[in-house]
Amino acid sequence: MENEFLKNRFHVTRRHFLGKLSLGLGSVALGSLLIPDLLKSGQDGVPQISGLPHFAPKAKRIIYLFQNGAPSQLESFDYKPLLNKMTGEELPASIRMGQRLTGMTSGQDKFPLVGSHFSFKQYGQSGAWVSELFPHTAKIVDELCFIKTMHTEAINHDPALTFMQSGAQQGNRPSMGAWLSYGLGSENKNLPAYCVLLSRGRGNGQGVYSKLWSNGFLDSVHQGVQFSSSEERVLYLKDPAGRDRESTRKMLDHLAQLNSINYKEFGDPEIEAKIQQYEMAYRMQTAVPELSDLSSEPDHIIKMYGADCLSPGTYASNCLLARKLSESGVRFVQLYHQGWDQHDNMVGEMPLQAQDVDRATAALVTDLKQRGLLDETLIIWGGEFGRTNYCQGNLKKNNYGRDHHPRSYTIWMAGGGVRPGLVYGETDDFGYNIIKNPVHVNDFHATVLHLMGLNHEQLTYKHLGRRYRLTDVAGKVVQDIVA
Amino acid sequence: MERVARIFVNVIFCIQILLTFLLFFEDRIALPPWLQVAGRLHPLVLHLPIGFFIFLAVIIIFKNQLEAKSAERIIHLGLLFTSFVASMAALFGFFLSLQDDYGNDALTNHKVTGVLLSWFCYTLLIWNRQQRNKKLFYGLGAITFLALIVAGHTGAELTHGENFVLAPISSAPKLTMENASVYEFAVQPILDKKCFSCHNEAKAKGGLVMTSVEKFQKGGKNGEAFIAGKPSESRMIKALYLPMDHDEHMPPDGKPQLTSVERATIEAWIKSGADFEKRLDQFADGDSLKFIVASFAASNVTATEIEKQYDFPAVSLDVVENLNTPFRSVFPLHQNSPALQVDFFLKESFQTSALEELKTIAKQLVVLNLSKMPVTDKDLAIISGFINVEALNLNFTKVQGPGLKDLQKLKNLRSLSLAGTSIKTDDLEHVLNLSNLREVYIWNTQITEADRVALSKKYPDVELVGELFSEEKILKLGKPRVENDGVIRRGDLIALKHNMPGVAVSLGKNGSEPDSINGELYKAPFTAEETFVLKAKACKKGWYCSDVLEVTCFVEGISPTNAELLSPADPQYKGKGGEGLIDLQKGFADIFKESSWLGYRDQPFAAAFDFGKEISLNKIVISYGKNIGGYIFPPEAVEVWAGKSLNDLTLLTKANPSLPTGYTPNTVEALPITINAKVPYRFYKIVAKPLAKLPAWHNSKGEKGWFFLDEVFFY
Repeated sequence: MENEFLKNRFHVTRRHFLGKLSLGLGSVALGSLLIPDLLKSGQDGVPQISGLPHFAPKAKRIIYLFQNGAPSQLESFDYKPLLNKMTGEELPASIRMGQRLTGMTSGQDKFPLVGSHFSFKQYGQSGAWVSELFPHTAKIVDELCFIKTMHTEAINHDPALTFMQSGAQQGNRPSMGAWLSYGLGSENKNLPAYCVLLSRGRGNGQGVYSKLWSNGFLDSVHQGVQFSSSEERVLYLKDPAGRDRESTRKMLDHLAQLNSINYKEFGDPEIEAKIQQYEMAYRMQTAVPELSDLSSEPDHIIKMYGADCLSPGTYASNCLLARKLSESGVRFVQLYHQGWDQHDNMVGEMPLQAQDVDRATAALVTDLKQRGLLDETLIIWGGEFGRTNYCQGNLKKNNYGRDHHPRSYTIWMAGGGVRPGLVYGETDDFGYNIIKNPVHVNDFHATVLHLMGLNHEQLTYKHLGRRYRLTDVAGKVVQDIVA
Repeated sequence: MERVARIFVNVIFCIQILLTFLLFFEDRIALPPWLQVAGRLHPLVLHLPIGFFIFLAVIIIFKNQLEAKSAERIIHLGLLFTSFVASMAALFGFFLSLQDDYGNDALTNHKVTGVLLSWFCYTLLIWNRQQRNKKLFYGLGAITFLALIVAGHTGAELTHGENFVLAPISSAPKLTMENASVYEFAVQPILDKKCFSCHNEAKAKGGLVMTSVEKFQKGGKNGEAFIAGKPSESRMIKALYLPMDHDEHMPPDGKPQLTSVERATIEAWIKSGADFEKRLDQFADGDSLKFIVASFAASNVTATEIEKQYDFPAVSLDVVENLNTPFRSVFPLHQNSPALQVDFFLKESFQTSALEELKTIAKQLVVLNLSKMPVTDKDLAIISGFINVEALNLNFTKVQGPGLKDLQKLKNLRSLSLAGTSIKTDDLEHVLNLSNLREVYIWNTQITEADRVALSKKYPDVELVGELFSEEKILKLGKPRVENDGVIRRGDLIALKHNMPGVAVSLGKNGSEPDSINGELYKAPFTAEETFVLKAKACKKGWYCSDVLEVTCFVEGISPTNAELLSPADPQYKGKGGEGLIDLQKGFADIFKESSWLGYRDQPFAAAFDFGKEISLNKIVISYGKNIGGYIFPPEAVEVWAGKSLNDLTLLTKANPSLPTGYTPNTVEALPITINAKVPYRFYKIVAKPLAKLPAWHNSKGEKGWFFLDEVFFY
């Protein structure tokens, strides 16, 4: 179709052409300047297979351990003893400063502060504070770089999650993994550059949906590939019974021929993408079974991740698979672990959630380090926003809940060029406002791209008449956390 | 001839208009690739107007030596060409400027003078054609020449940098911590990057000039910029810390801001007395400035190490392209880097020849990843030819150790990964002497922790990373898993699975607890006649037994030919009607909106099942959902009716299922009802009443409960 339009534009008669020539040369040049696609050849629609970092990257791959639902920073890594002293007292208006509320607490007439039910201790040489719920993470704090001053613009899950993943609250934009696949391509051509693994904890859960790993307006080869939570990690990958590799190969060759005929006729780049996807699927038939094979993992690795890592679909098994994928050159492995939305049962649910992720998370960091891969793999742990320092609903004797809090929350990164053993940024004693070194979601994205060797202002894609970036029109690299 | 000339003049005029347009609207323009090529010809084309112009000047000076008419013609032709190539050079220049990042001010200067030059040439041409005043023509010629020099010079500065011409006779000595004051070494570079562009002699925003020490000390219109020793009272420090949207925040919004290290450096410098002369060694040891500057310097060193410059040439892109296969990725470390990384994937496809083929990039190969490939010690000899390799990953390869000797040739080797191989201490020692080696990974090899510690002492420059995880605590195994999905068809085998090698799974089939010592052990898949609750747990030496898996296995029974709802389900949860109860499709415990489920709340569930012929049943199993938080409970009472026709049914049995006594996870459970009908019947009817009042312990006690079912089985 596109080609037809272009051809039509070239249907200029000789008289017409010569008539325009005296003033025409300039206007033709100008025309094609203003409409760059005018003189573009059809081949340009072919997806970009592999890009290169703009400059020497610190990290080559990312494993993003997304904690879906927003884990409380106040029960994990942001220690605020003042809240324990002031439990039950009202949140001062001078601290809240008119912060908007969600529909869940906007009806509340009291905002009683509440301290963490769980105790904190300092660990490692960095002296980072970690709550008792994360004993394994506590052991590796000197590998981690905590950012205590993340802040976002959204206050509800969907927009905040979408913002964190794609740099925009509304959706339809490419997510971080898609941008990286577009900018850096795949290291291993037998696997997708962007893989997504889902798991679910025992706490109050919030949904995840495929728009979070969408390619947006980028070519569909950059879309995240969701792995199944079942034993068979990639569904329908096996050849049907009775068909051998040889005949699969032949079938694909013929199919590719047919598809190329169609491509020549219509010039639709999606056809080209389809051919490539079939080819990759064919190679994945060998690559994926190698990945999901756990028999080659030594016993002590299984012990390190915890026995859960043998049950497909658990967070621990996803961590183990994430390591294997990353080790095999997958650019971006995105995990989502649901269940962190503790609106009312913090005391009951938070330990269960922490228990599900703590051991395997620490194991992943250690495992990569043992293999010499931590230097080149960036690990990110965190959610979409923080939780309030006051109780949602009535403060009960032994339990409480926290609402959504966009103004400050904690995430951590490890490996891949971030400064280990650093606690960056500070929140006030109420754990409500940032008092030093704020890091906006756009800044976070800019920094992650920087670590991957990409200038966030140069990684652009033109769509609907303007250039888009992951950081859109904002974002600054947080140089202080870059090693 | 004149006709051609006229067309030419028109074309040149068009280009002038285009150029002027571009000067103002270039931001709105995106460049198609073919024009990018034209842009790249700018450095070639730009020399033409220079040459033509000088040629023209020579002709004009020596014009008396020529025949008058010829001279006129040559000058006219010369002007025509000069003007044309000047405008083309300017146009191509625009195309080039849109492709690359040049410094803004210098570029603007070059652009404006370039366009001016083009206009001047055009004016000269017209002037000459119309035979106007000769003196003015020569005056204009001189101005054009001046414009040519300025445009040429600004252009050269863009390509070669400022001071390119005079650099050889005016190079400044390199600043180091030893020969420069702390101000020059650490503070001035920050000011230079972030402040000087506005606070210099020429611009002097707010009257403040920071480029001269004297004027910097004096301050600006509003007073001193800093007070030595008192950073918190200094205006410039305050300006740094003001909120971003404050008018007096510096650097202003939109300009590059200072990093916290930079801020801390300037603060510490003012605190320590804002001395412009003092060198680092003249500061006391505990001084915060000294500490910051020293660590700053150290971090700069590592930064330059990463952006390493290589002195070998890049190979052509074709070579790289040709080496790439789905099983071997070859790519430069980053844009414009001659250094290459090679990764191998899929061990089944690995061949030694694939390694040998890399000889064409033997110099450029810097990172080599052979993790999990069947590489043997023999192959290391090939690798030893890649003399610039800095990082070599041999994790989980078949390398035994003796071949490591060959790696001694890799003088640039910085990182060596040998995890998961069977190398021994003696073999490793062959490479530990390499002077650039910094990290070696030996986890999961024959090298013991004691040996590792000993080696670390012997080779202090090398970080030897071994097993990092140590925990003696015994852990609990995970539960086994039933492999079957959904309803188990009659005769189908029920299979259990546990991914841990060597585990024993014990079973409890009819409500009994699994017993790992005396109970039944799972050996092979088995069949079942009717729905039952399976319990199983896994045990292994060195681990605690798993929690008990408790799962209802729904087994296909005798299928009715027809099922009909006698009372409609709630409009929100109509599912597939009566048919859905006998289609052997199970629902999920969390998604009650799904079409497998039928939901009842305000009236009892009632359905009739027709078997087409008379049969006697022993048992009926209702598969129902439980979601306590969502008010979904087992029914309060169940009745089973039967008869030879639908109008003539008798009550066979009544049951009151036991109710949950607290919150439990969402499940799909079996509700078995024993009938033992001695007489065969064709029609059976089931009536189930949803719970009328939620129990007292429930958050919404007293409300009506829901009853959800997805399937009914008959045995």
